[in-house]
Amino acid sequence: MKQIGKKTGTLIITLLFISFASFFAFQVIPGDPALSVLGMDATEQQVAVFRKEMGLDKPLLVRYGNWVWNFAQGDFGRSYHYRTPVSGLLGDKLPVTLTLTLISFSFVLLISIPFGILMAKFAESRLGKAANVVNQVLMSVPSFFLGVLLVLVFGLLLKWFTPGKYISYTESITGFLLYLIAPAAAIAIPKSAMVIKFLRSSVLEQRKHNYVRTAYSKGSPENRVLFIHILKNASIPVITILGMMIADIMAGSIVVEQVFNIPGVGRLLVSSIGYRDYPVVQAIIVYIASTVVIVNFIVDMVYRLVDPRIREA
Amino acid sequence: MLEVRDLKVAFPKEEPGSKLVDWAVKGISFSMGRGEILAIIGESGSGKSMTALSIAGLLPPDAVSSGEILFNKKDLMALSKEGRRMVQGKDISMIFQEPMTSLNPVMKIGKQIEEVLVLHTGLSKAERKERVCKALLDAGLADPERLCQSYPHQLSGGMRQRVMIAMASVLKPQLMIADEPTTALDKRIQGQILRLLKQINTEKKMGILFISHNLEVVKDFCDRILVMYQGEIVESGTPEEIFQNPKEEYTKKLLASIPKGKQIVKKEILEKKPVLEVRNLNVYYTEKRKQKRQVIFNANFTIYEKEIVGLVGDSGGGKSSLSKAILGINKDIKGEICHFTEYPQMVFQDPYGSLNPVKRIGWILEEPLRIQGRLKKAERKEKVLHLLERVGLDRAYAGRRPGELSGGQRQRVCIALALILESRFIIADEPVSALDVTIQAQILELLKELKEEYKLSYLFISHDMAVINEMCDRILRLEDGKLYEEI
Repeated sequence: MKQIGKKTGTLIITLLFISFASFFAFQVIPGDPALSVLGMDATEQQVAVFRKEMGLDKPLLVRYGNWVWNFAQGDFGRSYHYRTPVSGLLGDKLPVTLTLTLISFSFVLLISIPFGILMAKFAESRLGKAANVVNQVLMSVPSFFLGVLLVLVFGLLLKWFTPGKYISYTESITGFLLYLIAPAAAIAIPKSAMVIKFLRSSVLEQRKHNYVRTAYSKGSPENRVLFIHILKNASIPVITILGMMIADIMAGSIVVEQVFNIPGVGRLLVSSIGYRDYPVVQAIIVYIASTVVIVNFIVDMVYRLVDPRIREA
Repeated sequence: MLEVRDLKVAFPKEEPGSKLVDWAVKGISFSMGRGEILAIIGESGSGKSMTALSIAGLLPPDAVSSGEILFNKKDLMALSKEGRRMVQGKDISMIFQEPMTSLNPVMKIGKQIEEVLVLHTGLSKAERKERVCKALLDAGLADPERLCQSYPHQLSGGMRQRVMIAMASVLKPQLMIADEPTTALDKRIQGQILRLLKQINTEKKMGILFISHNLEVVKDFCDRILVMYQGEIVESGTPEEIFQNPKEEYTKKLLASIPKGKQIVKKEILEKKPVLEVRNLNVYYTEKRKQKRQVIFNANFTIYEKEIVGLVGDSGGGKSSLSKAILGINKDIKGEICHFTEYPQMVFQDPYGSLNPVKRIGWILEEPLRIQGRLKKAERKEKVLHLLERVGLDRAYAGRRPGELSGGQRQRVCIALALILESRFIIADEPVSALDVTIQAQILELLKELKEEYKLSYLFISHDMAVINEMCDRILRLEDGKLYEEI
């Protein structure tokens, strides 16, 4: 319990630090939101009114303080561009991106765990070696390119969804999920290949340990040694990779959302940066950062479950 | 019970495409009776471990083997993988040299022992638990209930080896193979483990095939000894025959390399120059954010020029803390430590881990000189080469990497490294305990030679009393943080 309390403290400090960094970054980089909203030929008076309306006339630290205080209460500020609350803008995009991330991550788990184990088991065989080469190739294919291929296969050939015709979850849940399968696969395939690689080499590495020899000396069959003894030990480094991957998947979704025309947070982020719509950008950064930090928190907890040596350290 | 006929084990040579093999075991034959303790003695590379692994059915996958291993008149070599499995753990069990790593780190002790019963018996859960607890008690471990719930990292090396023994004897197999089971343990624990094995042998009528490089260990323990050298059995007989009347040259060499205890003569040290003086030394140790603990209480001693002082004591008794304090690594001390020479240097137990594997030997040896900015480049190089020769290595070794050297050669490099800054006081922490017995003798001889030549003094830490008695002029014993001088 004490550990969890300590971790939560670290979590809050990390988030404060990230919010501070993201807030100040946009104060330093060039580009005036007033001009990008009002246009280049706005009069000085118009600019002054806009700045007052958006609270841009107050000193920097006061603005940061206000922003954090409001943020903590669920008020993410007002979008410069759309002149509406940011929470409203994010409100219908977040579930989309979150669902996409979750489906992608489940794909990664579903693909990489069985394949990683199989490829370790048959690492010496010809098929295993060939699979390893294919895996290397998949690892290096960019998601947006895979996305295009998958549109072709699932959209035009299998007709699971109509390319470009996004179905909102408010219209039809099934349609929405079917639409997300191809983009999720586009994100998941290269990531799975990476996890497969790590899991495979981790299992192969663990196979050399002395405890494996002990297990065989007891008369354990090969599969039992693999699943009961090796796998838990081999999963420890892989958990780290999976934790870091969540951040990667979210970043990947930004690109893939463009390819598949999905109105998620990624699309909003890209357009908001263009508009210098800082409240929106900041909110999204804090959202992504919090997810990453929280996932890492979960990873730490999973570690504790798997490895008794960490539990006491 | 066990009869091995013309057993051969070979490994394919490293070069790809080559059909040649390296022979590990070159056709050996021997037999073993029910309940007998048979020892196979030899240095590393003699094939003794490969013989053991062949019988246990645990040879590495790339090994090729032939011959017959008859166990109760059934040829194990002819059995299928599945048939072999039925024997493993049930009729033939094995314990290993590395108690620290031979248990699964993420599985509870109870479960690991229980696995043998799950695999080979149809016992119920409650019955299994009872058998596991009984086996742990028989292996000399108290409170088996609690132990079953523990993980390996919570136990000491000696306890882990006892757990291995419990695991290997829970089904009362007819044969237990023990591959160097005491080598990684403290001397005191070694004795306990040997006594335990002997006891299990008598009580459970289990035959033990005991593999060791140390003749001394098996002397009072086994019924018969086989001496192996380069894949062949060169001599066999009872311990009396081997010790009193060795026939082969190699056996004689093995016997000679056992360090013999000698009378310790207190030398005239009054007129000698001191190299280290320790006065009222108290050393503290703070475990991670825990309470500060005092590990050394009021220690006083002096080490003089050309003197070898032994430091003995149980593991965890403060030997390392004391040497770290002398080296200046541990600064949490009260009292005086006076050095009268250059700062002391250290030679460690593990010649494998102590040298950076990606650098060449010459680079490693030159590094301290380079950091200190001593000498010109050419002079540094010359000094390194000279020292290499001095520790008995060819100059060509400067261009090699640690991985290309044997354990003994690496320890020679470590000794050269300790000498390169012309320090005249060396702390040697178990410098030979990771080495084969024949190599041990060579390294000890080298240390003595260097002492005479360079007027060195050593603080020699070891748990092996035979080595200590052989080497040291005086012995300091650390017990519960207090230092006693033995005379």
